Amino acid sequence: MHKESELRPPLILGDKTWHDITEDVCRPVESKANKWWWLAFSLAVAALLWWIVAVSYTLGTGLGVWGLNKTVGWAWDITNFVWWVGIGHAGTLISAILLLFRQKWRLSINRSAEAMTIFAVICAATFIVTHMGRPWVAYWPIPLPNQFGSLWVNFNSPLVWDVFAISTYFTVSLVFWYTGLIPDFAVIRERATTKWRKRIYTLLSFGWVGSAKNWQRFEEVSLVLAGISTPLVLSVHSVVSMDFATSLVPGWHTTIFPPYFVAGAVFSGFAMVQTLLIIGRKVLGLEDYITIYHIDMMNRVILITGSIVGVAYITEFFIAWYSGVEYEQYAFINRATGPYWWAYWSMMTCNVITPQLFWSTKLRESVFATFIISIFVNIGMWFERFVIIVTSLHRDYIPSSWTMYHPTWVEAGIFIGSLGLFFTCFLLFARVFPVIAMSELKTIIKSSSEGSKKKHAKSVTQEVNV
Amino acid sequence: MEKKYWKGVEELNNSPEFTRLRDNEFFENLPIDELLQNKASSTSSTSRRDFLKFLGFGVAAASLAACEAPVKKAIPYVVKPEEITYGIPDYYASAFFDGNDYCSVLVKTREGRPIKIEGNKLSSVTNGGTNARVQASVLSLYDSARLTSPLSAKKKATWSEVDAAITSKLSQSAAAGKKIVILSSTLPSPTTKKVVAEFSAKYPTTEHIVYDAVSYYGLLKGNELSFGKSMIPSYRFDNAEVIVSFAADFLATWLSPIEFARQYAITRKLRDGKKNMSRHIQFESTLSLTGSNADNRYKLKPSQLSSAVANLYNKIAAATGGASVSSSATPQDKAIEKVAQELLNAKGKSLVVSGSNDPNEQVLVNAINHLLGNYNSTINVNQECNLRASNDAAVIELMSKMNAGEVGTIIFWNANPIYSLPNSKDFQAALSKVGTKVSFADREDETAQFCDYVAPEHHYLESWNDLEPYKGYFNLVQPTIRPLFDTRQPQESLMKWAAMPQADYYSYLEENWKSNIYRMQTGVTSGQAFWTQSLRNGVFEVAVTAASAPAFTGNVQDAASKITKPGTGVELVMYEKTGIANGAHANNPWLQEFPDPISKVCWDNYFAILPSYAAKMGFKQGNVIEVKVGNVSVKGPVLLQPAMAEETIAIAVGYGRTNVGKAGNGVGVNAYPLVTIANASMKYYTAATVSKTVEDDYPLAATQTHHTMMGREIVKETTLSAWLKDAKAGNPEEMIETPYGKKKVEDVDLWASQKNPGFDRPNHSWGLGIDLNACIGCGACVVACNAENNVAVVGKDEVMRSREMHWIRIDRYYSSDVTKENAGEKGLGKLDMYGEMEKPAAENPDVVFQPVMCQHCNNAPCETVCPVVATTHSSEGLNMMAYNRCVGTRYCANNCPYKVRRFNWFEYTNNEKFPYTMTDNLGKMVLNPDVVVRSRGVMEKCSMCVQRIQYGKLEAKKAGRRPLDGEINTACAQSCPTNALVFGDYNDPQSEVNKLAVDGRSYHLLAEIKVKPGVFYQTKVRNKEEGKEA
Amino acid sequence: MSAASKKLVYGIFQDDDVVLQAIATLKKKGLNVKDVFSPFPIHGMDEALGLKRTRIAICCFIYGVIGCSLALLMVYYMNILDWPMDIGGKPSFAFYKNLPAFIPVTFETTVLCAAHGMVITFYLRSKLLPGVEPHIIHPRMSDDHFVMAVQVNTEAEIANVEAQLMSAGAVSVQK
Repeated sequence: MHKESELRPPLILGDKTWHDITEDVCRPVESKANKWWWLAFSLAVAALLWWIVAVSYTLGTGLGVWGLNKTVGWAWDITNFVWWVGIGHAGTLISAILLLFRQKWRLSINRSAEAMTIFAVICAATFIVTHMGRPWVAYWPIPLPNQFGSLWVNFNSPLVWDVFAISTYFTVSLVFWYTGLIPDFAVIRERATTKWRKRIYTLLSFGWVGSAKNWQRFEEVSLVLAGISTPLVLSVHSVVSMDFATSLVPGWHTTIFPPYFVAGAVFSGFAMVQTLLIIGRKVLGLEDYITIYHIDMMNRVILITGSIVGVAYITEFFIAWYSGVEYEQYAFINRATGPYWWAYWSMMTCNVITPQLFWSTKLRESVFATFIISIFVNIGMWFERFVIIVTSLHRDYIPSSWTMYHPTWVEAGIFIGSLGLFFTCFLLFARVFPVIAMSELKTIIKSSSEGSKKKHAKSVTQEVNV
Repeated sequence: MEKKYWKGVEELNNSPEFTRLRDNEFFENLPIDELLQNKASSTSSTSRRDFLKFLGFGVAAASLAACEAPVKKAIPYVVKPEEITYGIPDYYASAFFDGNDYCSVLVKTREGRPIKIEGNKLSSVTNGGTNARVQASVLSLYDSARLTSPLSAKKKATWSEVDAAITSKLSQSAAAGKKIVILSSTLPSPTTKKVVAEFSAKYPTTEHIVYDAVSYYGLLKGNELSFGKSMIPSYRFDNAEVIVSFAADFLATWLSPIEFARQYAITRKLRDGKKNMSRHIQFESTLSLTGSNADNRYKLKPSQLSSAVANLYNKIAAATGGASVSSSATPQDKAIEKVAQELLNAKGKSLVVSGSNDPNEQVLVNAINHLLGNYNSTINVNQECNLRASNDAAVIELMSKMNAGEVGTIIFWNANPIYSLPNSKDFQAALSKVGTKVSFADREDETAQFCDYVAPEHHYLESWNDLEPYKGYFNLVQPTIRPLFDTRQPQESLMKWAAMPQADYYSYLEENWKSNIYRMQTGVTSGQAFWTQSLRNGVFEVAVTAASAPAFTGNVQDAASKITKPGTGVELVMYEKTGIANGAHANNPWLQEFPDPISKVCWDNYFAILPSYAAKMGFKQGNVIEVKVGNVSVKGPVLLQPAMAEETIAIAVGYGRTNVGKAGNGVGVNAYPLVTIANASMKYYTAATVSKTVEDDYPLAATQTHHTMMGREIVKETTLSAWLKDAKAGNPEEMIETPYGKKKVEDVDLWASQKNPGFDRPNHSWGLGIDLNACIGCGACVVACNAENNVAVVGKDEVMRSREMHWIRIDRYYSSDVTKENAGEKGLGKLDMYGEMEKPAAENPDVVFQPVMCQHCNNAPCETVCPVVATTHSSEGLNMMAYNRCVGTRYCANNCPYKVRRFNWFEYTNNEKFPYTMTDNLGKMVLNPDVVVRSRGVMEKCSMCVQRIQYGKLEAKKAGRRPLDGEINTACAQSCPTNALVFGDYNDPQSEVNKLAVDGRSYHLLAEIKVKPGVFYQTKVRNKEEGKEA
Repeated sequence: MSAASKKLVYGIFQDDDVVLQAIATLKKKGLNVKDVFSPFPIHGMDEALGLKRTRIAICCFIYGVIGCSLALLMVYYMNILDWPMDIGGKPSFAFYKNLPAFIPVTFETTVLCAAHGMVITFYLRSKLLPGVEPHIIHPRMSDDHFVMAVQVNTEAEIANVEAQLMSAGAVSVQK
């Protein structure tokens, strides 16, 4: 049977048995919530209420309550949309791409990362709807048969590509996530003590019993889903980036956007995973499963993607200069030195300089430093989208139309509110769903847990002694 | 016992027969059913009595029904007027004159509602041109601030009451030998003058004093001093090769701007093989629309202008043997020397005008023109202009008379002295000493509020009248709608009060034309025929009286001694804005939101100051400063205005109205009190003291906040000499770098090979050409577009958020000191270069105007990105917008390189937040039924007046032919006084737009991004030596 | 066969490796090992039980192909056939010329159909549906216990099989 060198750091700390895993993972679901959870939850709900107020005000009065104008048609709305979609990418990346690469360390984080994906995409979707002038006809970009006969959508439009990309991405991530959850629901089902709990989890677990054939299909499905989710996740942010890349606005009209946006997405996504799990592992007492090693691994990803993003920024500037295009050149000079210079430089600081700190192992393995930097990265990536959208629009081709954009409290409310929406969902998830894929995690306890490694080491030494 | 009286013997007998009859009222029952079966009346037993009963019931029923007749917004014609067909507009020839601009117009009415003003091409004065104020005038008809009935002591009254009261008052004043003063604006109407004359005949103590808010007394008086007759000659800018203007804004506000703009453009256009251009030199203190169009512009402080005229006179006199005068030096004397030379070279083909209201300065100007022999060609004293007759001296004298209590009755007619007189406080005091005060104002304005009676006048679109702008040029004014309210023409009121025999002014007018004016011609042989013809054409013009040099009797030395001498220190100058002018239309939202062509600021006036001077004074944009003139002080915001003269502050009159209506009240500050009275004439500049106040900054709403072209090829420019050498001067072919070397833009195409159906233009291919050399930036097109396309007015706050809805805008750019070319020499790196290029040239920048509307790109970037195909391309080359399909993602606007798309951020109709045209039920009557009113959340933009195109095509189809060139025209092109915009069909080889398109000066805006616009521009050509002054 | 032939005997194990060995030994002894229920997938189980390779991936591919062609048909019909329009001068009148613009939509639809088709097939084939009552043999068989189901043909065999299971390492046996 498969054994793993003890030189590799263990992925599960403490001498855990399968049953321990079950116990640890089910505890949050079965026990009462502690005061920290309630505190976080009430904060999140408060923000969510603000979101409801701001959104209803917008829908009731008109988009004029935002700070947009004739020149700057998109600002915080699309900034937030891209930011949220980007965050979502980490989840799929962890569960799909790392699965293909057989990265076992993904197992303790993929469940919550996927949950994050789902909720992030929901938040993004809210911005698609609210940014429309007539949200009550938000379904029109979907090619539905209608009473006008031959009235369809424009498949040349990147926004229609978005509709397809985002909806596919969302639903596929959802089934991927749910399929993984079924065996774990079964665990909770069998442990369930109260009638209702049993009923609910029976319903959720789809009558799973874990027969050999089930497991065979289960693994196949996971593998293939991972296989097709990988190009999917890459396509989604590429399509989002095409909203800009296919336009002719100087500063948007850039061919490197797809890879640059995908890297940025993974970058921000992992940062968000860090932010969530560093809190989560404490609050839910899962330090043994989400270890320093995991944090280190994710920090490496942040370091790499962060560097890619940095290179992309520099490339943009180089190309602008090299192209010799008047408007392109000015667009980038204006980014760095124009009225929105502060946004540009906060982006540069947070996205290019901060992640470079992760070259130091000490910082990579420091929970505190990681938390702080992950926050920085999230802020930086928000500014990246703001810079791309607003500074490109506010000074484009015809100087007579150049103007400034100033956000209103409504836009701020919707943004903060969307964070509330996100955390409300995530906190609920942490209470009722197993936050770690236990069934899958159990498969590595013999090979990669601290306990097993100790045993193995002992047995080896004995052999030597004989 | 009480007595009992019987109704008759029957009652006494009380027979059963009687009781039966008594019990039912109609003892002969009505044969209604018979009637309803409508038997032949002969056979029906309906008696006379029955008929009367039916009649009684009928009337009762009818009146009852009438009581509760449901009020509906849309009431179909019960009997359709024969001249009206649903959906087909009717045009009526009429004329606009508001005491300021004259314009011969055609009024477009739909289902009996005037909805649009268009120029009347038959008039040789305005020749189909209009301006912003004329275009907006139709909205004033639907102004809810108008009085709906006469007022007596501020209370609603009936005309009979008012007439009775006023008549008696008039006769009292007449009897008491007290003056009856009619204080009116200029009334260039022969028939009106007749009425006034007859009124004066009835009341001998009547005195008619002409008072215009902005006075031209100096011009009139100047001519009197020069030629012995108080009059204004007609000017012919189109005959001038050299035009020198001393602060006369003849393209925007001076005398007859529409007419002058047309004449001016004739000399500036380089079309149809014309290769020469007039030289235009402007001396001024503010940056006026005219000055911004000048080839050379020289800045002088207001007080230096007169001396500059004197110096010019001396130079001319020296060369032509005229008597020289004493004069003081000005900073621009070197330039004046050159200008004098140019004038002398163009002897007899030049024109010098001055906007000053100082008679003496005008005398010198006349002298110059006289020495140059311009009175035979560019100025015609025999063709008198009747558009201005204000008499400052008389007005000033009036006040003393009023104070002396000599005035028994005063009648205000299109005159609002309490608002527009500099010393209105004194006037108000004087007014209280007047027995009876009557106003013809259409609203309870600043003056009317102090009047005992207000006899509100019609809007000109409800009135009958005639105008004689120039001697021998007549124009009829006819109503195009029945009076909306219980108002009456002043002429008619005067006729009533003078108890004149004629029933109404209409018959009086008709009579006058049939009898008198008819005699001025010989072509038409019957008065009736003449009347109908004049009514149809609107205009009637007798042969032009030829120009002839009058004897110049002016005393130049005397004049020169009296003119203002150059002063020191801060000077304040009052001017009229292109939109609001003298303030009469301050309640017109279209004009308030119309951005000033120079500052681009709307909804306010301000103190314009040269940036460098403001810096010296420590003022910043928006700071509130206080300007003191004598004991009058006015507070207002600062606007940094390049090209102003040093030590000069300019503020527009016409703002700060308090009694004009919702839209206009309290907009800006009233600058009239700052006007001073010097030797019996209004003086529009004066020394002043300026101080910064502690008040918070006052934000100004501007539609353009960035003022330079940043070294981009947006408005292409060249000089006449360069253009004569090379037809493509300043407009080199756009080349694109490709792996195969440089290529022309049109040769670079992703689908070069493609020959798809649907991209060719089988029928029409509409296009618009804009000649930047003819465009003077007046903005008539902007307001015309508002009216034609139901463009929403959004108010100051929204404009400050850059959300104005105008479909066409006029970009105004200043040249910058730093250019890409000279940045190197100035030792500036790229970063600093861009930073510097954002700043307009500090001292005296060149100014260019560029109308920008949807360019109707054939490779439209907006179309490809719309998810729901709400905007697509028509087979006639139009970029179409389907409002009801739009979901409002605004992607199209983001992707529009010209930023011409406008988004409905709010519901602008029926929304109290936007209390303008489309919220007020009366205002809605101006809406064009052919253009849908956009709802909240959809994108909108210029449609190239697709409704007009469609109408034109249908008309042509009915006539069984293709539309003729020029038959279909967009609102903007049609309103243009200089025909700078030319609309037409590229598929028609003969069309003018085709001719222009192939011209060397034609170019596409941002050609290098290859969106293939359907609109093209033509290089601006300046008639001056590159770099060299004058 | 008689009713007894349906009878299954369950051996409860506590270690996956033991289960795998047990399967081998019991098979050698000619016992009919039907199935193994485990809390997590066990490597080598398919071979041990001799399960056929699942064809679910092939279904996925087929669904993908269907999705792809559906997408192309949809785009062709809606933009080219049903109502061709001049949209920004793009060659909207020739499918192949405009194809580049249609790739994203086609790709996404392919993935959509492939993923959902496969998952639905998986649920149906494995009878995984909301409301299905699970047959729970041992309360901890989803936690850390492994259940081996052995089919016995006659009542007589039961005892023997139970013995065999115990000797193969089962901690307990139940019918």
